[in-house]
Amino acid sequence: MRILLAEDDSTLGDGLRAGLRQLGFQVDWVRDGIAAEHELASGIYAAGVLDLGLPHKDGVQVLTALRACKVPTPILVLTARDAVSDRVLGLDSGADDYVVKPVDLVELAARLRSLVRRSMGQINDAIDCEALTLEPAGRRVYLRGEAVALSMREFDLLHTLMRNVGRVLTREQLEHQMYSWGHEVESNAIEVHIHHLRRKLGSELIKTVRGVGYTIQRQAVET
Amino acid sequence: MKGRRAPLALQSRLLLLILSLLLLIWGGAALMTWRNARSELYELLDGHLAQTAAMLAVQADSDDDAVTDAPSLRKYAPQVAFQVFIGGKLVTRSADAAWTPMGALREGFSTVRLDDGMEWRVFAARDAKRDALALVAERAVSRRDILLAVMGSMVLPFLVSLPLFALAVWWSVRRGLAPLHALCDDISARAPDCADPVAQTELPRELLPLARTLNSLLERIAHMLATERRFTADAAHEMRTPLAGIRAQAQVALQAGPDAAQREHALELALMGCDRLTRLVQQLLTLARLDAVAGVAGQRLDLGALARTVAADLANSALERGQTLEVRAEPHCLCNADEILAGVLVRNLLDNALRYSPRGAHVLVTVTAGKEAGAGSVLRVQDTGPGMDEAAIAQLGNRFFRVLGSDETGSGLGWSIVHRLLEVFAARVQVGPSAELGGLCVTVQWPVAP
Repeated sequence: MRILLAEDDSTLGDGLRAGLRQLGFQVDWVRDGIAAEHELASGIYAAGVLDLGLPHKDGVQVLTALRACKVPTPILVLTARDAVSDRVLGLDSGADDYVVKPVDLVELAARLRSLVRRSMGQINDAIDCEALTLEPAGRRVYLRGEAVALSMREFDLLHTLMRNVGRVLTREQLEHQMYSWGHEVESNAIEVHIHHLRRKLGSELIKTVRGVGYTIQRQAVET
Repeated sequence: MKGRRAPLALQSRLLLLILSLLLLIWGGAALMTWRNARSELYELLDGHLAQTAAMLAVQADSDDDAVTDAPSLRKYAPQVAFQVFIGGKLVTRSADAAWTPMGALREGFSTVRLDDGMEWRVFAARDAKRDALALVAERAVSRRDILLAVMGSMVLPFLVSLPLFALAVWWSVRRGLAPLHALCDDISARAPDCADPVAQTELPRELLPLARTLNSLLERIAHMLATERRFTADAAHEMRTPLAGIRAQAQVALQAGPDAAQREHALELALMGCDRLTRLVQQLLTLARLDAVAGVAGQRLDLGALARTVAADLANSALERGQTLEVRAEPHCLCNADEILAGVLVRNLLDNALRYSPRGAHVLVTVTAGKEAGAGSVLRVQDTGPGMDEAAIAQLGNRFFRVLGSDETGSGLGWSIVHRLLEVFAARVQVGPSAELGGLCVTVQWPVAP
């Protein structure tokens, strides 16, 4: 899952980025409100972590502007402002969650997974696609109850496809979801990971739509 | 309720004052009446005595040798008496008059004490032709009785009306003080943090200055409270973020597993966060202490020596960043300040210059004597850093203000401390671009040291 982190404090920003990466997120980090708004408006992020006291543009203004433009990305506000009136203002401005600093990284990760899950209309954390079960929190995949060992990228790719069951995702879209800034992406990286996934999970699972991209269809897993 | 005590005391004071003044004035009036009535009465009665004596002297008859006793005067008998002498011999007397002359045997008034132990007012009239002397006497006590009766008729109604009058005064004073009671009730009924102004529309003119003073006080208190609240909120915010940073980095280090490089990096950043938090706490404490010092007694300080001491303290951290720190001080540049506080001021200015200038920057401290008469010493800190724009300069001194985009770990309190100290020292500051070095130039103009 690719997350945008907007935090102007360098120690905290660095820590959050490193911590969320350890917990399996792809994290891009911006340090001011204008950049945060611009990046979140692109729609490629599964969720955003937004500090309110940002330079150039306050977090609440960023939220209001994004929601005014109908950007649906779930946003978690992470701030030092703990007054009830601040919380209410944050949530009413369009935040999906409001967390007061300092925060436990594991909890932050869980909240982010929950936000993404809700935004996808899922009820449970685990994503079931008939015989296939994917657990984002534990980063585990089961095929007919049997655990399947996947690499980090393979898991991210499968997770992305399963979050979007029934939709065709282009290679660019998949790359956006899987790689944060600063990663060199080989031109055939996605094809290689798809190949490995098909080998481990069966060739019927992931369909190729020629000239467009890849998709997992619900009936594909049925048999 | 403490608030209600004072107006009640005022009320009884007014009551007491009015009633005692009334008593005093009335007492004076009664005394004057007493004196007037007395002299009038004496004049009148003495006139009667004189007239009676004259008549007796004229009508005195000495044909008979025997002494004539006049008929009793009934109930007036004990009050009045008379004697008539002709040629020194008693010829006529009232029933119970003595045989011997009642008073001096010369014409005129006299007051004597007779054998019966009573005081008598005596008038003697002489008829020279017949050598007759008439003495008419009247008891003095009867005059006093008349006087008392007159005074009594005057005092009694007053004594009866006094309680009624006191009641009326009490009621009037109470009515008159009602706006004061209302004001007290309004204030004592307030919530402790209510700083709404007192309504002035229904107050009498005398209370308006009080209400105005109260309102301006309330306004200042409200402003102070708001500032304090904002400061507390800002301080909490400023401490939460580095705390969150330290926590996040510590957790990253814990989760790093076999990745030693990442663990090391996270721990380093956690330490940096701790240092930053320590500095913030130090600055907060300094500020809190400064808020408590109003007028610390100063002493004569050599600014040049002070600047060198502070620069020596900071030289190490400057060297670490490849920055050069230079002090140029004219001798005998004096200022009047507490040494520790002045040190805090210079340290903050120097620290800012070093902190916000890049690696390899040059920071210059100059201390010069005042150029014009009446100008004190001047301390100037210049650097080759990026400088600041007008808007940022205007915001200096706002607590927790930091220049946007700078990645430095300042607390945002340095300039608050500088401003507070300048107030304490009555010194003035100027911030602008440095003509000499191109960065920022901060000039502190001290008042003349006595």
